Amino acid sequence: MAQHRVQHTFERMSLRPQNQVAALGILGVMIMLIFSGIYLSQVASFATTNRQIEEAIAERDRLERTNEQLRAQIAELETIPRLLARAEALGFRAATSSDIEFIVVDGYNPDRARTVVPISLEADTAPVAQYDETFSGWVQQQWDALRRQFDGFGGS
Amino acid sequence: MATLTGGSANVQQEMINRRLPFLMLVLVVVALGLLIQISRYQWLPPNVERELQLRGSQNTSSVRRLPAERGIIYDQGGQPLAVNTLQYEIGASPNLITANRKREVAAALAVILGRDEFQIYQQLTSATPWQQIARPVTADVGQQIADEDIFGVVINPLSKRFYPQGTLAAQLIGFVIEDNDNTRGAMGVEGYYNDQLAGRVIDQQVSNIPFQLPTRSDGGQRGMNLVLTIDRDVQFWTEYELNRAIQSTNATGGTIIVMNPRNGDILGMASYPTFDPNNFQQVDDPALLTNPAIAAAYEPGSVFKIVTVAAALNSSTITPQWTYNDQGVITVGGVDVRNWDRNAYGVVDATTALSRSLNVGMATMALEMGPDRFYSGLRAFGIGQRTGVDLPGEEGGILKTPGDPDWSEGDLATNSFGQGVSVTPLQMITAVAAIANDGLMMQPRLVKQIVDGETITNAQLLPAGRAVSAETAEIVTGMMIRAVTDEGGGVPLAQIPGFVIAGKTGTAQIPFAAGYEPNVSIASFVGFLPADDPQLIILVKLDRPSGYWGSVVAAPVFKQLAERLVMLLGIPTDDVRRQLEAGGGVVR
Repeated sequence: MAQHRVQHTFERMSLRPQNQVAALGILGVMIMLIFSGIYLSQVASFATTNRQIEEAIAERDRLERTNEQLRAQIAELETIPRLLARAEALGFRAATSSDIEFIVVDGYNPDRARTVVPISLEADTAPVAQYDETFSGWVQQQWDALRRQFDGFGGS
Repeated sequence: MATLTGGSANVQQEMINRRLPFLMLVLVVVALGLLIQISRYQWLPPNVERELQLRGSQNTSSVRRLPAERGIIYDQGGQPLAVNTLQYEIGASPNLITANRKREVAAALAVILGRDEFQIYQQLTSATPWQQIARPVTADVGQQIADEDIFGVVINPLSKRFYPQGTLAAQLIGFVIEDNDNTRGAMGVEGYYNDQLAGRVIDQQVSNIPFQLPTRSDGGQRGMNLVLTIDRDVQFWTEYELNRAIQSTNATGGTIIVMNPRNGDILGMASYPTFDPNNFQQVDDPALLTNPAIAAAYEPGSVFKIVTVAAALNSSTITPQWTYNDQGVITVGGVDVRNWDRNAYGVVDATTALSRSLNVGMATMALEMGPDRFYSGLRAFGIGQRTGVDLPGEEGGILKTPGDPDWSEGDLATNSFGQGVSVTPLQMITAVAAIANDGLMMQPRLVKQIVDGETITNAQLLPAGRAVSAETAEIVTGMMIRAVTDEGGGVPLAQIPGFVIAGKTGTAQIPFAAGYEPNVSIASFVGFLPADDPQLIILVKLDRPSGYWGSVVAAPVFKQLAERLVMLLGIPTDDVRRQLEAGGGVVR
């Protein structure tokens, strides 16, 4: 039935069979070209993105290495002999015990944790996990790691 | 076009029907053969499989080696003591450099690296997927090559250990031996915590196909960071005072240890001579690379009397009111024990025996205790055992006890005043720190925290055992205060205005094969402050100083250093502290 309908359609187009074959061929080529174009465009976009990611990774690595280098340089510039020499050049001198005066403030307790009301701060990052080097600390660490894994499953 | 008649078509059909099963059989056999052959390729010998994979990936990917990055070592205030600096390894993937560019690339690299162009060209024309061109090169040279942006030339960063503080705390931190992509910590914290610090090398397959997403393991190669108990400033002034003492007394060596007696934290530990960890290869004598504070045992001399008195008190052998008749000499096991000044002191109590550092008094106490109580008392202070500090190469010293083939009764007497027994400086300060910490001995430690990414592990405080009761510790502290302040027999050179110091001097002879070396000594002083609430304990030890006596050469070093440290650490004088406490304040 469907075959008859197609035959009928071609007969109504009043094309000769050769032309019909040619038209079908051209149509096929055009469809192929369209799909190829879409494919190439996608691949090109993908390659460009990957290239950008690679460059970003390289830049991040470079910045990390630069940071490391700078950290070493800063540490070198902050060595005590250098700071002492610089301080002396600026006219400072080392303090002696006679230069230090302790002021007694009645009721002042430097142990702030016991006297000052703790201020609740909202941390913008997750708190750094701290564990004691004990068995219970180790168990806690393993438990937290397991919990993070489950949280990860739930989130994805 | 020819048409087939009905009869011939039937014949043909019949022929096809006859041949078809045979043809199908052949096809099935061939297909089976092919299937078997294909299946065989799935289980290739490993070496063949690797070779095929390598050949397959040669043109599509290369291997990038991410070097291990050692963790950073910080002092307790966050000052970096060991960091990594940047160097580069220059490599090339010859298959990515086209033949007509190889000469040009070789020329460019030769100019920057200062190497032979032909040699580099030969490397670029090799059939291997990767060639190492130069390693290591400085950050500047690496950057120059990176700026050239040569396709096919790979610049891998290398991590080089660097100690920005120079020689500061060199014996504590140790150094790193670099072996291609691996680094191995040697000595000090670098050696003890090598597994944590080292990190790991990662070989990363990098695809040259742009459609494959680049992969990178984040931080997998980074080791853990360490936060030490060392305070950089305390360490600096400890070394400063040690060097000054060495120069002024012409001592051949020396050690100073600063510790918090409450928790065993080592705040500073310095020994002379030392080395530069950035150039440890230039050290001629390997012994210099060891840490004498934990590895060089010595006869402690009179400092050891603190342990003897504490053991005697704790075993109830004596009381603070205990007296003996000092005749200037006592013979034990055929050994004549004399006081350091060869004088007789008559009836003397325990406090005077310690403050005047009387050998006869100590020998008498040891005899009254007997070997069992005496040596078990010493063991309670960790004498003859390693302290367990987190450093490699620690020695336990020598403590001969009854039953040992070389022990004699005379040893009981001589051991009581620190002869015939050897300890390391760290053992000695740890033992005296137990007195400062109400009798509880803490295991000394150097690492406070281990930081692994977002996880911080606090090193545990480890009590090493109760050496003596709190009451005994208090009594001995009082005796040590007398040893410093006693008129006529005290140590004025160790006294610091505003602070009560508990301390003891030591002047030990140096043994050699035929007895003791004449006219040379190991002069030492150990003391803690404030005596009623100790926050610092300092041990000073000078080898063969020109001044000979501990009270003359070691005590002033203690004073100089302690004066600096109380300012540095903000420890108020005793009267200010008492005012603070009276006003409800707490001094930490």
